[in-house]
Amino acid sequence: MPSLREDELAGERRTRGAVDTVLVWNRRVHYYLGLFLLFFIWLFAFTGLLLNHPRWQFAQFWPNRIQSTTEHTIADVTAANDTNRARDVMRQLGVAGELQWPATQPANGPFTFQVNRPGLNVDVKADLQAGRATVQRTQLNAWGVMHVLHTFTGAPAADSRNRRDWMLTTVWALSMDAVAAGLIVMVSGSYVMWFRLRTKRLGGIVALALGFISCGAFVSALRWLL
Amino acid sequence: MRRFYLITRDLHLYVGLFLSPFVLVFSASVFYLVHGFAQRPAPAPSDASRTVNNIAVPAGLAGMQGRARVDALRAVLDQVGVSGEIDFVRHLPGEHRVIVPVRLPNRDTVVSLDYEQRTATITRREHSIGDALVYLHKMPGPHNVDVRGNSPLMRWWKVLADATAYLTLFITISGVYLWIALKAERRVGLVLVLAGAITFWGLVYAIAA
Repeated sequence: MPSLREDELAGERRTRGAVDTVLVWNRRVHYYLGLFLLFFIWLFAFTGLLLNHPRWQFAQFWPNRIQSTTEHTIADVTAANDTNRARDVMRQLGVAGELQWPATQPANGPFTFQVNRPGLNVDVKADLQAGRATVQRTQLNAWGVMHVLHTFTGAPAADSRNRRDWMLTTVWALSMDAVAAGLIVMVSGSYVMWFRLRTKRLGGIVALALGFISCGAFVSALRWLL
Repeated sequence: MRRFYLITRDLHLYVGLFLSPFVLVFSASVFYLVHGFAQRPAPAPSDASRTVNNIAVPAGLAGMQGRARVDALRAVLDQVGVSGEIDFVRHLPGEHRVIVPVRLPNRDTVVSLDYEQRTATITRREHSIGDALVYLHKMPGPHNVDVRGNSPLMRWWKVLADATAYLTLFITISGVYLWIALKAERRVGLVLVLAGAITFWGLVYAIAA
């Protein structure tokens, strides 16, 4: 029969074993997540720079856009509401993307809406009675696609009519959430890894304090900065 | 080679720790942005307001445009005790009035200046921490380029926002280098890089192609 002391030692070994397993997996999760999210992080970091520097000549996309206007015949659209009517017209025109409504629909005018996806904006003006639609396509280059991917959420703030309505927008929005959540997990895990390195604690505290002070100053908009 | 590895590892650690609060700010604000949680309503007449009289209005303010107007308005804002980044200014010539929205991460102020009567009505609205994070995430951004960075706060934030992006690129590249040095994790890591690449390019192709 094991003594009390042996029981205690076995318990300690089990606890240490569990802690070690957590620490090993914490480290693995840090670089596994980093490697899986690598291309997403590169995209959002690089396009963040592009958005903050709209004058960078090499990344200009709007002056280089390609526009075309075409006329189409459309079959009867019998759907009951605007969204389903627009979807029917989009199906007939072979256009897919996030549906965007104008601020106002012209009275007695054409049925008007926009379809957006990264790199392509399609303006549709449909005369449902006459069965005709005018389609203006604006195609952006690769810089434009990257630019839009950074902000493509399909959920404009303070606009209740324009809700996310394309499945791929939802998938992209969820992947933005996943990247953000992944980064938060990586940062949290890195604090644990750093704190266990005794020789790096002091330098780490200085780096972390500098980061928190400089970032916190902006979040709280300290008076002395203004 | 060993020395290069050790320096890279230390830089990855210290740069990462410095960068971490910024990464947390940008990451947390993503949830607000993606799901439209942060509405940031502009100050309304129902918000607290005050009036300041006898303001020294810069000569020729009504005829000014762009950066010159923003610089001239800064002197007015100093007199009425309002600080922050001046946003899109509206001129209402018929009312002899300029409407000046002034933004801080956690506060919006609207200064309605009557340059004939030399009076200003100041309306203020405080915002939540979520709104503040979203504001910082979007700034300086691609809009209003001619006048953006007209406050010290925004000029410094622009430097730090850029630094966050550059340092994130450094952190990822140094992270890849440090992973390659871990022989035992190469196979799993390679599978994850490939899985991430396929997911990323597959999504981009489906959305944009």
